[in-house]
Amino acid sequence: MRSIKLEKLKKTINETAIIPEVNLSIPAGKFFALLGPSGCGKTTLLRLIAGLDKANSGKIFLGDQDITEWPIHKRPINIVFQNYALFPHLDVFDNVAYSLKLKKLHKQVIEQKVLKILEAFHLENHIYKSTSQLSGGQQQRVALARAIVNEPDVLLLDEPLAALDFKLRERMLIELIELQDKLKTTFVYVTHDQFEALTVADQLAIMNHRGEIEQIGTPKEIYEFPLTSFVAKFVGTTNILSGKLKNLDSEPEIEIPNLGLLKIYIPQKKEWMRENCDMMISLRPEKIFISKKKVKNFSNMVQGTVQSIVYHGRSTQYNILLKNQIRLQVFEQNEEHFPQEIIDYDHEVNLYWQKENVVILEK
Amino acid sequence: MKMKLFRNPPHSELPFSIGVPALIWQVLFFYLPLAILVVTSVLKFNEFEAFEGITFEKITFFLRPLYLKVILSSFILALSNTILCLFIAYPLAYFLAFTAKRFKIFFLFLLIVPFWTNFLLHVYAWFLVLEKGGFLNNLLRLLGIITEPINMLNSHFSIMIMMIYYYLPFMVMPLYSSLEKMDFRLVEASLDLGASWSQTLRRVILPLTKRGFKTGFFLVYIPSFGEFAIPELMGGDRWMFVGTVISNYILGDETGSLGAAFTVVASLFLLASAIGLYWVIDRLIPWRIHDVKDAA
Repeated sequence: MRSIKLEKLKKTINETAIIPEVNLSIPAGKFFALLGPSGCGKTTLLRLIAGLDKANSGKIFLGDQDITEWPIHKRPINIVFQNYALFPHLDVFDNVAYSLKLKKLHKQVIEQKVLKILEAFHLENHIYKSTSQLSGGQQQRVALARAIVNEPDVLLLDEPLAALDFKLRERMLIELIELQDKLKTTFVYVTHDQFEALTVADQLAIMNHRGEIEQIGTPKEIYEFPLTSFVAKFVGTTNILSGKLKNLDSEPEIEIPNLGLLKIYIPQKKEWMRENCDMMISLRPEKIFISKKKVKNFSNMVQGTVQSIVYHGRSTQYNILLKNQIRLQVFEQNEEHFPQEIIDYDHEVNLYWQKENVVILEK
Repeated sequence: MKMKLFRNPPHSELPFSIGVPALIWQVLFFYLPLAILVVTSVLKFNEFEAFEGITFEKITFFLRPLYLKVILSSFILALSNTILCLFIAYPLAYFLAFTAKRFKIFFLFLLIVPFWTNFLLHVYAWFLVLEKGGFLNNLLRLLGIITEPINMLNSHFSIMIMMIYYYLPFMVMPLYSSLEKMDFRLVEASLDLGASWSQTLRRVILPLTKRGFKTGFFLVYIPSFGEFAIPELMGGDRWMFVGTVISNYILGDETGSLGAAFTVVASLFLLASAIGLYWVIDRLIPWRIHDVKDAA
């Protein structure tokens, strides 16, 4: 259990910057997720930490040790590959025992360790099977067992669940969380799937298309208080509105063209905030209340027409066209079998939200 | 039924009959002559060329130290050629499969180009390189490594050079194709799990390319055991190899059946040595799971 620190780490391939000078601290003993769109360089970042690729410049620290120049097999860091990369010529036992045998441990010690970990991963009935005889979930577990049997300081996981079906993925996520909780090893989990990242992570970093880190925080901080429009849009669904800042010093509002003034809440005044300056806000669809009636005690209200309705099961998504031709998404929980109010296509509706639920974006 | 159609690869549905022409060819021009050869080697005729019975005299004639020494020198020639080819070919095939990237096709092309020119031309080209006033002697003299020219032709050295030169592509090709099919992430996984490069080579790369390894090994070993032209041309007539002895008897007057007998003796030795080498390779390269096919 040690921390990872990246200092101005840079990787270019054919003069294209894959990773442009990244600084990142990954706390020791935490489940850390790196979330970003496909092709943003998150896998490259993982490969740099593992030592599979060499950085052009910058430093990698494991705890206080500079491991930038360490060869891959000397780093106490193991990786679980996306396709598992299990050795096809070895059975389950020998796959898991691979790193222990290299250390020339005593045969009985190896056997003890391997059997113990296989049992913990519910693989005790598959010890001498070839890996091709296993299901996807079992292969995944063998890959995990093989990586942690050697007790690495840091475990890297590269989209480890991408090949599994949804139900199995949900179960494996829970298993991963429990595993990390038990081992207290630093886990670095790379994914493009926000659901996975929000589920497993103690801490979350969001990477944009250019390989830059946009925001780091707990899943809740990232979801509820995104700093940028990229983060707001990438994690979850949101409505982004842009306009001009008004009444900065009294009761702040945003003026949206052809729509009017909406109240906003500024918890902390930032330097860039000026009267009349351009700004963007994010408003999550589930923070909006939809009704055809007049409702009191909301700080904001706009009117619109129902353009489309998408039924999701636990919630319903309404797409509402406002009078300035902007479309807002609204999620409403399906709390009752027979709702009191029927909202259908082309109905005129009122949308309400509290000013505290609006997030001011920096870019 | 429908499922079955999809599961079986289409080639399993092909009728046996399409293999028949090849089979006829093999029987007519390979198995039949082989049978004639074996039979000739044990038949006994009197001076009027009348059949007299079966004898193993001709076979036992060749089990003398003189001829066993010839077989042994062919064995040493073939084995050393194969092993040297292997050591040169493996890094080359690895380079082609993983490092060459977009120049891969070009390098493979370079490997095949020598096949387009006549074999004798290669031999004479090597004469020019290896002779006393040749390229190599001049180069070594220029570099100050030698003062007097060395006689490199008609030696084991020149035979070996030509053997390696000729057989190398047969080793590179199967190695390349099995290395290329190997998932490189397995190498990365091995390194990541703490294996050094040499450990990864032994525990992952070699086992996963075992099929190409064996193919290349025997593709070089078997023909170089019977190699006739190269020792003859590059070695002068100073050394006797299996191929030289066979050609002497077959081309000689009325010694054809002796040639057949020696061929049988040498072939049996070749077969035995190949089986032995196969066994050794199988034990040298670890491959734990025997029920899965070569996944590489």
